Amino acid sequence: MDVVLQILVSGLTIGAMYAASTIGLALVYGALNMLNMAQGALLAFGGYVCMYVMDSLGLPAPLGLLAALVTGGVLGLAIYALVTRPMLGSANFETQIFIATIGVGSVLQSAVLHLFGPQPKAQPLQIPGGLTLGGVTLPWQNVLIMGVTALMLAGVAWLLGRTRAGLAIRATAQNRVAAQLMGIRIGRVYAQVLMLSGALAAVSGVMVSSLSGLLPTMGADPMLKAFVICVVAGLGNVPGAALAALVLGVLEAVIQYLFGVQYAFAILLALVIAVLIWRPYGLFGTRQVVRL
Amino acid sequence: MTPLRRDIAASIALVAAMAVVPLIFDTRYVITQLTVFFIWGIVVTQWNLVLGVAGIFSLAQMALFAVGAYGTAMLAYYGGMAMVPAMVIASLATVGVSLVIGFACLRLKGPYVALLTLAIAQMLYLIVVNDTGCFTNPPSGCLPLLGGVRGFSRFGDLGFRDLLGSKWFVGHYYVGLGLLLVAQVFCAFLIRGPLGLAFRALRDNPGYAMSRGVGRLKYQLWVFGLSAFFTGLAGAFYVAHFGVVGPIVFSVSMLLFLLAMIVVGGMGTVWGPLLGAAVLMIADEGLREVGDWREIGLGLVLAGFVILLPRGLVGLRRR
Repeated sequence: MDVVLQILVSGLTIGAMYAASTIGLALVYGALNMLNMAQGALLAFGGYVCMYVMDSLGLPAPLGLLAALVTGGVLGLAIYALVTRPMLGSANFETQIFIATIGVGSVLQSAVLHLFGPQPKAQPLQIPGGLTLGGVTLPWQNVLIMGVTALMLAGVAWLLGRTRAGLAIRATAQNRVAAQLMGIRIGRVYAQVLMLSGALAAVSGVMVSSLSGLLPTMGADPMLKAFVICVVAGLGNVPGAALAALVLGVLEAVIQYLFGVQYAFAILLALVIAVLIWRPYGLFGTRQVVRL
Repeated sequence: MTPLRRDIAASIALVAAMAVVPLIFDTRYVITQLTVFFIWGIVVTQWNLVLGVAGIFSLAQMALFAVGAYGTAMLAYYGGMAMVPAMVIASLATVGVSLVIGFACLRLKGPYVALLTLAIAQMLYLIVVNDTGCFTNPPSGCLPLLGGVRGFSRFGDLGFRDLLGSKWFVGHYYVGLGLLLVAQVFCAFLIRGPLGLAFRALRDNPGYAMSRGVGRLKYQLWVFGLSAFFTGLAGAFYVAHFGVVGPIVFSVSMLLFLLAMIVVGGMGTVWGPLLGAAVLMIADEGLREVGDWREIGLGLVLAGFVILLPRGLVGLRRR
């Protein structure tokens, strides 16, 4: 019983981390049909900025998190201004922007490498100790990760569901042209979405690095998993992505326990491929009726 | 002269010109770099067929290359097979793998295909790298079944060392050149021929094309499988040329380098990828001094070309 609970705890932590890095991706794809391959580098940037603020400037943890948030937002805005905006309306937008963001990701990742060096570093944002409940240990770090993720999810849900800006984002995602005709400035919506997703990515980078440590390439693995989760949930489906992240997190913990760490991702991918053959539009995606 | 004949004539002329090169420059460095150019040239012409002509947004190209490379190395290392039959068998195996990937991915739409193929490539990489159990114990130390982090070496070569002595690399040069000629002519046939026509029809008027029996999935699978053969062959020749293969063939920076060649040259064109390969390899040579900045330069080139010049260098002329 204890083992099951322990697996559940670590699975939910993994899932929470995945959810944090996935919602930004899902949001951007939903609103813009843009797969942001620079997401992994944004994760790394967030983690390193938090480390820099806390270690080198000696400021407290909340300021480190805030700095990561702001940096992520600014980078997201920069991606909008320099990459997305010039390409809007070009032929084959989806494919072309994908390639462009691969380039941007490479640039950002090398920037991290040059700014902070190639050696692995530790993320100073750590809470030692844990909560012991009937034989199961729940480290405070895991509680923090789950708490921050819950906060982020709630914030995004509130923003999308209850604010005018969120309404504009949803309208644009549903039908770009109709939204534009109703007087929504879609340029501003796109900028907001990319800023938001950049900020979310940076914060989730801090969370990921608090467990795995800091490396310039640390974003690649969570990003790939976030993509897989997006695909399973149906691209652009934000609540579905969050749910799928938690389920896959627990699943990964179970696989790790049963078969060993090195097989976790391979088995997960095999499952995902099976899901996609069964439902090519994702688990929660709605079937898009494209007759041709 | 039809465009197809023009392309074939140009290919032959270019190859004839390249065939003279070793007679003029016989420095090993130039010849070897050109051989590497032939290998990447084959890969990008075939990847271009998949990306630009068939419209399959696959990122599994280097994984297929790796199947050809690892297949050859393993057949020669474990089976003691001679290089040439090993290369052919490995290339056929690559076609098999590509068809499996194709069946899994091609029912999906653009971005889903990209993500899934990337995930498959990553999965193969992880399987190779995480394999740490010893399969055999050669004198150089423990060797996992798939070579692990170290990869394979010492499994024989094409035999030019006996034939040409110290000039063996010239032999590799001509083999590479010959393979590139075949791959490029195949590429021209595909773009100008019936398959290319089918894809143009599917792009211009999908409804009419499909009502006339031009099914997208069928033709996509054909292109995917056929181009996988040459990609696998390029991988096999890579192994024969370098005499080693390791997990570096899966690396993201290599994928980026090759993708940049296609984008810079012009996606979907007959000559764009080769032009891009030449430009980027020369630029890379120039940037060797500033090695640390290579990744940033590559990223900027990739993003810059997609944003400012989406049709590549070949597209410049047509405007």
